[in-house]
Amino acid sequence: MILLLLVFINIVFVPLLLVGVIRKIKALMQNRVGSPVLQAFYDIGKLLRKSETISGTASWVFTLAPRLNLAVVAVAALLVPWSGAAFPASWGSVTNFLLVIYLLGLGKFISMLAAMDTGSAFGGLGASRDALISVLVEPALMIGLGALALGAKSMDLSVIYSTPASHFVAILVGASLIVIALSELSRMPVDDPTTHLELNMVHEAMILENSGRNLALVKLAVALRTCIFFGLAAQTFLHALPQYSELSQLLRYGVGISSLFVVGVLVAVAEGVLVKLNWRRVPNFVAFAIALSSLAALIAVARG
Amino acid sequence: MLTLPGSLSGWYVAALCLWACVTLIGVFRRHSSSPLFPIALGLGSGLLLVTAILGGNRVMTAPAPWFLAVSPFRFSADPLSRWFLGIIGIVGIAAAVFSPSYLHHLRKRVALGFVWSALALLMISMSLVVLSANALVFLVAWELMALSSFALVASDHEKHSVHRAALVYLGATRTGTAFLMTGFLWAHYLTGSWSFSAWHLSGGEALGPALLIFIGLAVKAGCWPFHLWLPIAHPAAPAPVSAVMSGVMIKTAIYAMVRLLVMGHLDCPVLGPVVLILGAISAFWGVLFALLQHDLKRLLAYHSVENIGIILMGLGLSMIGKSLHLPFLAQLGLAAALFHTLNHALFKSLLFLGAGVVDARAHTRDIEQLGGLIHRMPWTAGSFIIGSAAICALPPLNGFASEWLLYKGFFGLAQNGADVGGRLCGLLLMGWLALIGALALACFVKAVGVVFLGLPRSEQAQRAKEGTRSMIIAQVLLAVLCAGLGIAASVVLVPLGSVVAFVQGESSVLAGVWTLPVPMLVVVLVLTLGALALWMLVSSRSKPARRFITWECGFGDLGPRMQYTASSFAQPIARMFRAVNRYAVQVDVQGSGRKHFPDAVSAESEYEPYLQTRVYTPALKLIQDMAGAFLARLQAGSIHQYLAYMMVALGLLLFLGCRS
Repeated sequence: MILLLLVFINIVFVPLLLVGVIRKIKALMQNRVGSPVLQAFYDIGKLLRKSETISGTASWVFTLAPRLNLAVVAVAALLVPWSGAAFPASWGSVTNFLLVIYLLGLGKFISMLAAMDTGSAFGGLGASRDALISVLVEPALMIGLGALALGAKSMDLSVIYSTPASHFVAILVGASLIVIALSELSRMPVDDPTTHLELNMVHEAMILENSGRNLALVKLAVALRTCIFFGLAAQTFLHALPQYSELSQLLRYGVGISSLFVVGVLVAVAEGVLVKLNWRRVPNFVAFAIALSSLAALIAVARG
Repeated sequence: MLTLPGSLSGWYVAALCLWACVTLIGVFRRHSSSPLFPIALGLGSGLLLVTAILGGNRVMTAPAPWFLAVSPFRFSADPLSRWFLGIIGIVGIAAAVFSPSYLHHLRKRVALGFVWSALALLMISMSLVVLSANALVFLVAWELMALSSFALVASDHEKHSVHRAALVYLGATRTGTAFLMTGFLWAHYLTGSWSFSAWHLSGGEALGPALLIFIGLAVKAGCWPFHLWLPIAHPAAPAPVSAVMSGVMIKTAIYAMVRLLVMGHLDCPVLGPVVLILGAISAFWGVLFALLQHDLKRLLAYHSVENIGIILMGLGLSMIGKSLHLPFLAQLGLAAALFHTLNHALFKSLLFLGAGVVDARAHTRDIEQLGGLIHRMPWTAGSFIIGSAAICALPPLNGFASEWLLYKGFFGLAQNGADVGGRLCGLLLMGWLALIGALALACFVKAVGVVFLGLPRSEQAQRAKEGTRSMIIAQVLLAVLCAGLGIAASVVLVPLGSVVAFVQGESSVLAGVWTLPVPMLVVVLVLTLGALALWMLVSSRSKPARRFITWECGFGDLGPRMQYTASSFAQPIARMFRAVNRYAVQVDVQGSGRKHFPDAVSAESEYEPYLQTRVYTPALKLIQDMAGAFLARLQAGSIHQYLAYMMVALGLLLFLGCRS
């Protein structure tokens, strides 16, 4: 019963709240009052009540993509211990990090196809740039999580995030995960999520043609992915502290959620301070994640 | 004739007879397109599949008068051969179902009976390669395979590009066979026997033959740096033939590698890392150059190079595991390689058949002229999307299953490797495989997006229609197999485990290796998706979706030229790797108000395949120059010169004869 309630809160309430908090902090940094913290909920509610307009060029791929993407991301959000609450290790390796990475890849595949489905230049632009970013992010994610897995002697995320990790490895992988999160979620300095200019459209370009109900599903999926990546980074940093693994399940969940919001606030502050990179410099930035992950791998391997 | 110890080898002989009939009839009736050809071919493949699944292990030898020079005709069927026979059978069935309708559209340029004949001969020779038990029979079957596939590549021989492709392919097979023959001769010299099971060499002795045999097989498999013939030859052949060649024929080289280098006793510890490194480079090189292609079949051929690289990484891992005395690693690497062999055969054939339908209906392979085909050929598009998802290793399809095993193998290397370097390599190879997977994802989003989605970029694409029912059936069959093998991976691992155990000669340690609850995951995904779709459907009752045009910023009529092209899609990634492929875009702007009001803008993107322009072309030119300058002088046509040669040769032989 408690588990179901926790799952519901995790999947529905926390992601949209996080998005609202990030927006509020950015607004405060820009000396504005900004929209209320619960604005994301109102947006989703409004979008669900609106009808949608679909391009005549689009096919079943366009309609399937937001649904499949949200389904995949929701299942991944259940598997990844981003809030501190995790599946017990006896559930088989359903939380195997390869499965999670490739599930997210499935969501990405179908959303890139949907972007190209409408025959507009924006979709192709967004999909092609997203492809470039994922080429750099996937190895970093794989090597980073591999380094953590080596320390925990298991490829299951639920086991990795309940065994204490070495400080250096955890901090390096956490930093790498922050860079990965900023790139994957198209946040500054990789892309500006608030504008619709061709200079800096990655995610916004891909979802341009969605409207109404489809757009609500897309926004929910984005909010969930934000939680997954920021939460994973927060958990990795927390695992540098050996005391964290010794806390009780409920306390771990509480600390996990609060650290997720702390990471969100820090990212919002960073977004207010950072300048968006020239697109030609973006690969250099994202490749930092590969460097950090490889360093973490070297340390993890050397520790035996 | 051959001894028949049991009815199952009788079925195999029946398959051989069916195919032999097709071969002979096809040669004599070159232009006939009788329905008996596909039926016989398909039936033969079906019998082969049955033999593979139900056959036992036996050795068949032709009795005394039937000798191949110095060794008997000996064939042996064991678990490894039967795994590959099964692959040949499945792809053969799909090709047989697909071919009649496809070849129908080629009937004016191509001698259909001859194509069927060569295809049957190819199937015969592939099955003989996989079953042969000694080197000479292997070489005979290998050469038959090379010749029949050469005939198939040259089917549409009135086109100049097909001419060139066929000759390049012939040259590549000659080179590969030369290395293979030298390796076999050396092994025979060291061991005194032609039979594969008698070749026990180790250490320094094994290095020479093993290396030569590996190079010969690598040429056939399409491993870097010997892969150049693959993207030239495979697109030139008709689509079902490309499917068979890419799906099965290059896998016979993998079979030989497993039999001789992994299972055989040519113990050569250096070879493991070499195979792994070459596999890793092939995988990266293949997928990078695939991103730059805009010929659909050339793109798929480069992806074959990539997947052969992945299979070789598994084989290399297995050999390294064996030399480190880690049986789990050795078996896991081999299991990943063999599983990927099966999976690649399935999804690559599916993709080539889809490309064949596109080629037959839209009359072009250039993806920059296609688009919007999903509305015109929905079944082909659906199966092509499933094939693309499978080749990008997305769960729950079969590509994910085999790559997961390989990842697990690399993680095992990271945990148990001999030294820090080895263990770090395990982790970095996981990252490398992820990089390759992301590049493959980019490439297939490009291919599917530009070919099937969006607006049609040409008249031909606009008027294309769906393929015939047999074409659809063949593709749907393969797509269902892809999905089925992915979901039921734990079931497939049972026979695979026994094949691997047989190859390694020890009991299987792979019993509990597949721990992912994929069926449950699929059920959860389908239920979630169903719930979401139902919710959306219910809420759309009151406000149905409105169909309107794509957003064009208010500029008005949005034509197909406003879409992203394939070259534009690939540009960011190609530019990022410009150190490898010398990618450059030349933009030329003309007009008086050049910067803001141009008269004409031209943009040209170019890339340079280094290996071809810097290594192979100069090498071939050098050989041609030497032949022209030097060798031509030896054959000057002067009778005095030839008499002098004969005198010198006679003197030399007398001298050598008197010495001993």
